Order: sequence, then structure tokens, then C-alpha cells
Amino acid sequence: MSEGGRKLKLRSDKDLMALQEAIGKERDPNKTCVTVCGGTGCRAWGGEEVRLAFIEEIRKQGLEGKVDVMRTGCHGFCERGPVVVILPKEIFYQQVGLGDVPEIVSKTLKDGSLVERLLYTDPATGKVVTYDHDVPFYKGQMRQVFSDNGRIDPTEIRDYIGRGGYSALSKALFSMTPEQVIEEVEKSGLRGRGGAGFPSGRKWRFTRSSPGEVKYIVCNADEGDPGAFMDRSVLEGNPHLVLEGMLIAAYAIGSQHGYVYVRAEYPLAVQHLKIAMAQAEELGLIGDNILGTPFGFHLKIKEGAGAFVCGEETALLASIEGKRGMPRARPPFPAVAGLWGKPTNINNVETYANIRSIILGGSAAYAAIGTQGSKGTKIFSLTGKINNTGLVEVPMGTTLREVIFNIGGGIPRGRHFKAAQMGGPSGGCLPAMFLDLPIDYESLTEAGSMMGSGGMIVMDEKTCMVDIARFFLSFTQDESCGKCVPCRIGTKRMLEILTRITKGEGREGDIDLLLEMGPLVKDSALCGLGQTCPNPVLSTINHFRHEYEAHILEKYCPSGACEALVFAPCENTCPVRCDAVGYTSLVAEGRYPEALNLIRLTMPLAGVCGRVCNHPCENMCKRGEIDEAIAISSLKRFASDWELRTGTMTPPTFLEKPKAERVAIVGAGPAGLNAAYHLGRRGYPVTIFESLPMAGGMLAVGIPDYRLPRKNLENDIRFICQHNVEIKTGSTFGKDFTIGELLKQGYKAVFLAIGAHLNQKMNTPGEDADGVIPGISFLRRVNLGEKVKVGEKVAVIGGGNVAIDAARTALRLGAKEVSIVYRRTRDEMPANDEEIEEAEHEKIKILYLVAPTRILAENGKVKGLECQRMELGAFDTSGRRRPVPVKGSEFVLEVDMAIPAIGYMPDLSCLPQNDGFKTTKVGTLSVDPITLATHLPGVFAGGDVITGPSTVVEAMASGYRAAVSIDRYLKGRDLYKDRFYQAERRADVPRAETEGGEETAVKPRADMPAMAVDRRVCTFEEVNFGFDEETATREAKRCLRCDLER
Amino acid sequence: MAEALDLSKLDSVFEKHRGEEGALIPVLQEAQEIYGYLSEELLAAIGKRLHIPLSRIFGVVTFYAQFYTTPRGRYTVRVCRGTACHVRGGKYVLKAVQQTLGIGEGETTPDFKFTFETVACLGACALSPVLLVNKNYYGKLTPAKVGQVLKQYV
Repeated sequence: MSEGGRKLKLRSDKDLMALQEAIGKERDPNKTCVTVCGGTGCRAWGGEEVRLAFIEEIRKQGLEGKVDVMRTGCHGFCERGPVVVILPKEIFYQQVGLGDVPEIVSKTLKDGSLVERLLYTDPATGKVVTYDHDVPFYKGQMRQVFSDNGRIDPTEIRDYIGRGGYSALSKALFSMTPEQVIEEVEKSGLRGRGGAGFPSGRKWRFTRSSPGEVKYIVCNADEGDPGAFMDRSVLEGNPHLVLEGMLIAAYAIGSQHGYVYVRAEYPLAVQHLKIAMAQAEELGLIGDNILGTPFGFHLKIKEGAGAFVCGEETALLASIEGKRGMPRARPPFPAVAGLWGKPTNINNVETYANIRSIILGGSAAYAAIGTQGSKGTKIFSLTGKINNTGLVEVPMGTTLREVIFNIGGGIPRGRHFKAAQMGGPSGGCLPAMFLDLPIDYESLTEAGSMMGSGGMIVMDEKTCMVDIARFFLSFTQDESCGKCVPCRIGTKRMLEILTRITKGEGREGDIDLLLEMGPLVKDSALCGLGQTCPNPVLSTINHFRHEYEAHILEKYCPSGACEALVFAPCENTCPVRCDAVGYTSLVAEGRYPEALNLIRLTMPLAGVCGRVCNHPCENMCKRGEIDEAIAISSLKRFASDWELRTGTMTPPTFLEKPKAERVAIVGAGPAGLNAAYHLGRRGYPVTIFESLPMAGGMLAVGIPDYRLPRKNLENDIRFICQHNVEIKTGSTFGKDFTIGELLKQGYKAVFLAIGAHLNQKMNTPGEDADGVIPGISFLRRVNLGEKVKVGEKVAVIGGGNVAIDAARTALRLGAKEVSIVYRRTRDEMPANDEEIEEAEHEKIKILYLVAPTRILAENGKVKGLECQRMELGAFDTSGRRRPVPVKGSEFVLEVDMAIPAIGYMPDLSCLPQNDGFKTTKVGTLSVDPITLATHLPGVFAGGDVITGPSTVVEAMASGYRAAVSIDRYLKGRDLYKDRFYQAERRADVPRAETEGGEETAVKPRADMPAMAVDRRVCTFEEVNFGFDEETATREAKRCLRCDLER
Repeated sequence: MAEALDLSKLDSVFEKHRGEEGALIPVLQEAQEIYGYLSEELLAAIGKRLHIPLSRIFGVVTFYAQFYTTPRGRYTVRVCRGTACHVRGGKYVLKAVQQTLGIGEGETTPDFKFTFETVACLGACALSPVLLVNKNYYGKLTPAKVGQVLKQYV
């Protein structure tokens, strides 16, 4: 009972209740209290300084005594630290800086008004949130273990007791027998939260029933999984919760001594535990005669000394005994013979932290949460490529998708989910197909991963899965205690293999060797570290084998993470490996013709790509992490335009002597053109057969002139034709010639690059009415010079570049009102961002989440589009939310012309039927993925005909791949071996001299000068003017020269 | 370090843990706090007092990453190499620290100003990539920011 400030020991359950009441009375629940998060994360953000500033400012503004300031434990939303929550209203302020404090005091504390800019804005909806419980990060959670965290000062036991703390202990001691306590824990279904998930009640029963008087309780607080910090936050923020759990366990098992083993890297947790233990001892809650009962329990803290393996229970016990932390074989299990040979119950921090609610609320209530096999809640530390980094507590059975997207806020920078690693170095990765997996012990194990301690690391497309496997293995190899051969030597050898692979020294058979060694190590290692460390390797091979193969067979790292294989992120991501950093550095030096020559080493369509490429390079540009990506594509355009300006075309360059073998290419689109170019450079005479009256494929008849003027396309084609390439237009495959005839004519190899030009039907009633023209046909007719009559009100249906091109073309042909109808949202529209923006500038109305249901016609002519509004429903396998019709939302769009542009397919009717050509499920031509070979020797295929509608640069990459295959085929060489890319040469431009700091100062990207908007829509002249010399040089100088960082 | 080691500072440590089972590790930890590192002489003295053979003490000292047998710098720079830090570009930060300090992992600068270490995880993942200089955390690092951080300690 507390008496005038001096604390006396509590000697009964009634004493505790009286203290709880007294504390309740002395606290005014309506008194304003500024809680500042004091967890390690927020402290690192400067939280302590903010708290001290509050105390000072409150005093300054005369509010001392009227407003409390409390330093609490971790609130969990670490991304937004320092977090300040004003109670009792629960106003949630985030990213609070020192400079914000005076304003908060004067406005919120004194005046009752809000400081808007410090409130949380939900990036998904744009809504501003005032209260803690409305923040989406918290809304999706069920904070049971964390319930006290933001509301108590962990260094003040009275806060904990005031909220009902130690009532569970009291209940256990005074109204339950140890047997009953164990029964409750068993019935609750609680499973160890350290990772293995062993039923806790059963473990307690084993320990209790082991013979012997001396028994130990140990808390495993050696949270070593990299990326996991749940236990740290519980220990820092609410140490009494853990202590109470341990006391109840000790009572149930019949133990009088216990240890908390905390890793040394958690100094704040150690400090708070020590304070908590001292305060609990003072009140008689630890020590002899707890709460006046015969039950006594003494606790000591042991600090780890930096060994991950000490998280393994037997290694931990050895460490407490003062020995090297090396595991031993089990049985005997610690429950039978543990610390100093005595029965020992060892549980994880989070496991003990769950005990209070089980005892107070009852096992039935606890078991009502979660799934059949996994009860209660689990705390996850959500880190990596995620918007809302922090600690998330959810019921078992919550899906990965809910955690990552609804609570976690999704992936930053518009990137995509690639995989989530769960269980740290012991777990496996879960790719997108598992996003709807309910998280519980069994389902994760089945999926090849494991619950582990709760670390959840999210990865995006820039994460290399081979590198991640190597990373985890290097960690476990380093931490291996060395006692058993499988782990000590197995991990070393596996790491060697993985390191070789990431350095481009992978060998055939490496993957199989890893698949053999992994299970061997798993089956024979002595402890959990060795038994689980192959998991990341095995699961990444299982789900991302193609990445391993790319590293080994092509010495290529698709994510651009493996330094030894990546020249620069831009060059690495480019499907044709155009040396972007090289030509950018040449432009920066004023060496424009050299820049163009460097570009042309990999591809000849510089003028085209400089205008229409979807520039994956810019998405990977490191400059984008500082301010904005370099305008790589526009610099390519500049180099190409320079050539036209000077009037002299650079002479052709050949790699090899002229050869006799002739090659036939069907289709003069980007795939065919690039293949022809590369074969021509190698000395082969090439003939391209093109069905249309001009060359270019989609470049000529798909992309309108205002985006890609005819003269620039022709310039590029002229350059190509200097390299032994002849183009025969007006010659249609299947009609004018067949493959057999080509071979008879003496062509030694054939490349089919006939593209995808067939419109995909909408299958909407009324599609055949007059005034409905499919997008591709519409564009082709216009580009071929036909004066196509457009309606006054035009609706284009679709969201890709074709739809936007059709819309902007219709406008230029005289339509008064043009709308685009798209069934999903802007974020999901496949068209290039720039194209969508241009459409908006030209006042084209884009109706999102609208789908057509019927085309209305009168006398056979289109008069309207019946539409229905959609809303985003559940996710589909592509990872996007499926649009679902909103009932009763039908409306009619008045139009006199409709242009469906929802997709297009290859037209394979030109191929001989039943001649062995295989098609894929989606109707494209099937070929060998590495060589592009069809079943006919010497006949290859590539471009949109094999991929379906794709990009210009992907088509060119396909053409290059085919050229390499054909070259090897004609030389009688192996088509599969050593297919790694080697640059012909590099630009040798040294790093420009800059002043310190200048390189990383924020400099915005150059704007593209363009035609005035109102003039644009009346003409087909090119909208963008291109950079002038000064702008181009300035833009090029922003490049960070990642190639020199190696 | 030619001066004789003042072993009297250890007395309070031994007192505190007198009779305790498994006291070796806490004794080593506290001794290291006092002396900065665990020299052979110091370990021999501890072994004598605790009646533990030097060979066994060496076994323990060399097993755990946090025991140092060589003098350390005034500032310990710990770069986190945990998964969250790695995924957010931690290895570039590590390289930048290496380049700036001119020493490798586990080494100390000749002027005993800095010791450079890596840690598997500091548990401050929201701030990744993270490094620690003694007890001060620095987060959201880029290679460029590393120079600014370390400059404060020169």
C-alpha cells in the first residue's frame, strides 16, 4: 500500500487492487498528456530532444502542471517517427521536429486547434487523419501485446499497475493452482513466438513434470534475426508485461529462479528491464513471498556478447553457464535437463508477453482469435521496400496482402512487390503468388517459408534474389558456431557457390549442387541454425530459378544488384543493353557524333527510341533517388537529331567480312530491323520482306506522326540499310511467299518478326455497328494516308498507348470531344505516363473505372456508348485489383464514333496449318526462350509475335537475340553456350570535375520544350521540339556516372 | 601500452559476482567496460581469480563478437548489415565508410580514433540503412551522407 510516497511491499491481492485503485484516483483521465515515443527508432529520429523541448516549452508557455509529458515505449509506426500522440483525444502527430514543438504547445495544447501539416495523410486516399486509431497503419491491426505501449512510461511501474498490471499474476497466485494455469495456457493454443511454434502449454507441462526441485525459467531475448525488432520494442516499451508472464510461468512450473538473456545490442531494453525489475522488487512482485504468498522468484539479467547462435535455446543456456554458445544435441530437451542440467522452461519474449491476456481474459477468448492451428496475435516487423516500416500486430490468419498493402501502405516509388522474406535467415521467400496466404505456422511452412520470429522483409524488382540468398548465407556462415560439420563446412561451400554466381562465375551444375547440398545440411546439422540456413537458398531457387539461370548462363543480373555483373543500372536494365551512361557522358562533353555511334553499337533506331521508348533505364536511374532521373531517352533523341542537323550520316561499321549466306527476315518492324542490322554488320546479306507499303511496322502505322515524324523513322531505316540490308515492301508472308519458298530461293536462315496487328474484340453487343473502328485499323489507315472521317464525339475504349494514340489522332482529325474509357484506375493504365499527361493536356477526358456494356446504334450507326461504373474489388493473379461493376451505375456516353483499343494479337493465319508451329496459351508463337528457335532448323521468331504486344525496345532485344542465334547457326556453333552480353566497346569519358557536394545537390530534370497546346491539336506536326545544345549538355551533366562507382 | 595494468579496478567486479555460477561472461563484459579491451594480461588475471584456465577463457573471448583483444578507437563506427539495411542499399554505405576511414572491417585507424565494425542487425530497421557511432544512431544513409556524419567526429 502506498503511503505518502514511500512504497511498501504489496502483501496480498487486495494490496495490489488497492494500489491500482489509488493510482486510478490520482490520475485524471481527462488531463492532457503529450506522449512522445521513446523507442530506439524514434530516439534515433531525435525523439528525446523533442520530448525535452516539450517540457521546456510547456513551462515557458505557463502550462506546467496542467499538461503532462510522458515518454512511452514504441508505438510501432517507426517510419513516421518521432511520433507524438496527444492524450486523451489521441491526436496523432508524426515526424515532429524540434521546430514544431512551440506551435504544438500554443495551438493544440492551449488553443485546442490542430497543426495540420503534422497530421498523417494517407497516401492512398489523400485523406488527412487526426486520430491515432484512424490511421490505416493502426486500423488494420489488433494491438493486444502492444496495447499498453503508447500509453505508459516503461520506467514507471505505477503506469503499468494503473492499467491493471500484475492482475494476472494476482489471479494466478490467489485463485488458480499451477495445474490450472498450465491448463489455461494449453487450452489457449499459444505457440512459441520465437519461431519454432512449439505449443507453450505443453512445454510448461513437461518442465513441471520433470523430476527435481530446482527448475529455471529463461526468457530468450536474443532477438538476432536481422530485420526483426519486435522483442526489442516489447522490452523497451512494456518490460513488466514480460516479467508478469515469466512470474506466472514460474508459479505454474514450480521455479524460483530465472534469467532474461538479452542481446547486448539492445542497451535500452537492458536498461528498462533493470529498472522494471528493481521497481517490481521494491513492491514485492519479484523476490521472496510475492504478494505475501509462499511463492518466491528471483530474476537476473544476462547480456549476450554478440553471437546470433545464442538465440538457439541450448546455445543460450551454455552462454548463461559462461561457456561458448554452442548448441548440443537434443534430447534431452531443456524442459528435462537445461540450465546446469536442471529442468528449464525457455520461451521467447513475445510468448511471455501473451500470458497476461490468456490468464485475465481466459483461454477461450484467446483461442477465438487466429486460425485453427495458430491462435492469438503475432507481431511482425515490417521492413525493406515498404512505405510504412514498423511493427504490426495482427491476428494469425491475416493475409500477407493485408499486412503489406493495407497496413504497410505498399511498395514505395511505384515499384512492384517481388517477394517477402519471412523467418529471416531461417525462412524462405514468398513471391507474389502467396500474397493471399493467411499467415499461420502451417501455411507458411507448407509454402516453403516459416513464421520465424516475425521479421517480414519486403522486396521489389530491384532486389536480386540470388544476392539475397548469398546475403543470408553469408550471415549464417559467419554466425555458425562451427561445432558440426554439415553447418560449418556446408554453409561455407554453399556460400562459395553463391558468391561465384553473383560474380558472374557461375557454372553449369551449380544450381543442382545447391539443391543437393541444401537438404543434406538441413537433415544433418546439429541445431536450428544449420537446419534452416539453406531455406533462403532453396526457396529462391524454387521460385526464382530464372534469375539464377540468367546469372549463370548469361552473366546477367536482372535486378541490377550484383555489382560485378552490372556496368551501370541504366545499361543493365535496357533490354538491348544500350550504353546509356556512355552516350550521356559523351553528350555532356559535346561529343555528339560519338554518342550516336555508341548508341548504334547496340541498336540503330536512335531517332525512334529517343521519342517513343518507354525507357526502363530512367526507372532505374540512380539520379532518381536524389531528384529526378536523367532524361536518357531525350538525350538519345538529341544525338540522333544532331545527325540530321549536320546533314551527314555516319558511315556504316562492320564487325566481320562479307559472307555468302543470305538471311530472310519477315517483317520490317523494330524486331526485324534490329535483327537485320546486327546480321548485316556481321557480313550477312539480309532481305526484309514487308507486307505494308513502307517499312517500320508499328513504328510507321501504329505511332502517329506527332509523336514520331516520318522523317526520323526514315533516317534510322536509311542507316540500317547501309549495312547490307535490303527491304522489299508489298510482300506478304503466307500469301506471296512461304518459308519453304524462301529456303528454296537460297536463304539460309529465316527470322519471323511479323508482330501483332490483329485487334482484340471487346465482345460487347453492338461492336459491329457503323462508326466502330478498332484502334489499330484506325491508326493504320490514318498513317497510310487515308482521310479517315471521324465523328464529333469520339470514345476510345482502352488504356494502352494505342488507345491514347487513337484518341489524340481523332482529335487532330477534327473530333470536337474525345473521351477515353478505361475500366481501371490511372495508376494501372499501361500507357506511358507521358502519354497520359499529353492526353490530359489536350483536354481528352479520361473516364477511369468505367467499362462499356453496349454500343448503341440507330439505323446501324453508332449513337452512344452504354457504360457502367466500376469499383476495385479483390486482387487477381496479376496482382491488380479486379474491377467490379457498381450496380445501378449505368449511364450513356453520347458518341458517334467508338474506337475499341483493348488489345491486339498476332495474326498466325499466315503460318501453314498443322506444320508443327506451336502457340502459347495466349495465342502467341512459341519458341525456345534462349535461342528463339522454332521447330524448323534455321527458322527463328521474335518480337510481338512471340511476346504479344510489348515495347519497341523489347522487340529490338528480341531481334538482337535472333541475330546472335542465326549467326551461330550459320557458323555451326552451339546456340546455348555462353550467351552473355559483352559490350563492343565503352566510351572512355573520365568523371567530370565537380566541387564537393555539387554532384548531389538537387537539380531538377530539364523540361522538354513543346508546341503550345492549342496549336498541337490542329496538326500532326511533332509536339515535342527536342533539347537544344545547352539544355542537353546541362541535363547530361546531371548524370552520376554509376559506371565509375564500380 | 607499457604501463602495468591496474588490476585493482577489477576488485569491485569480482565482488559483485562472487559465488555466482556462470559469471565469466558478465565479468568479461564489465572488465571490457573498464579497460576498453581485454588484453592477455587482463585475461590471465581473470582466469586466476575465477579459477578458469586461460585456454577456456580464450575460447569464450574469441567466440563472441563483442569481446576485443586489441585496443579500440575512441569512436566505434558500427554499420548495420541486417537484411532491411541491405535491401535498402546498405552495402554502398558500408563501402563508403570503408573508403572514408581507410580501414577494413574489424580494424582500427592508426591514430586510434575510429574502429570500424559491422553488426548483423541494430533493430532500427525503419531508419535503414543505419550506422552507429558509439551510441549515436544515424539513419536513412546514402554514401554521400556518410562523409557528413563521420566529419563530425574528426
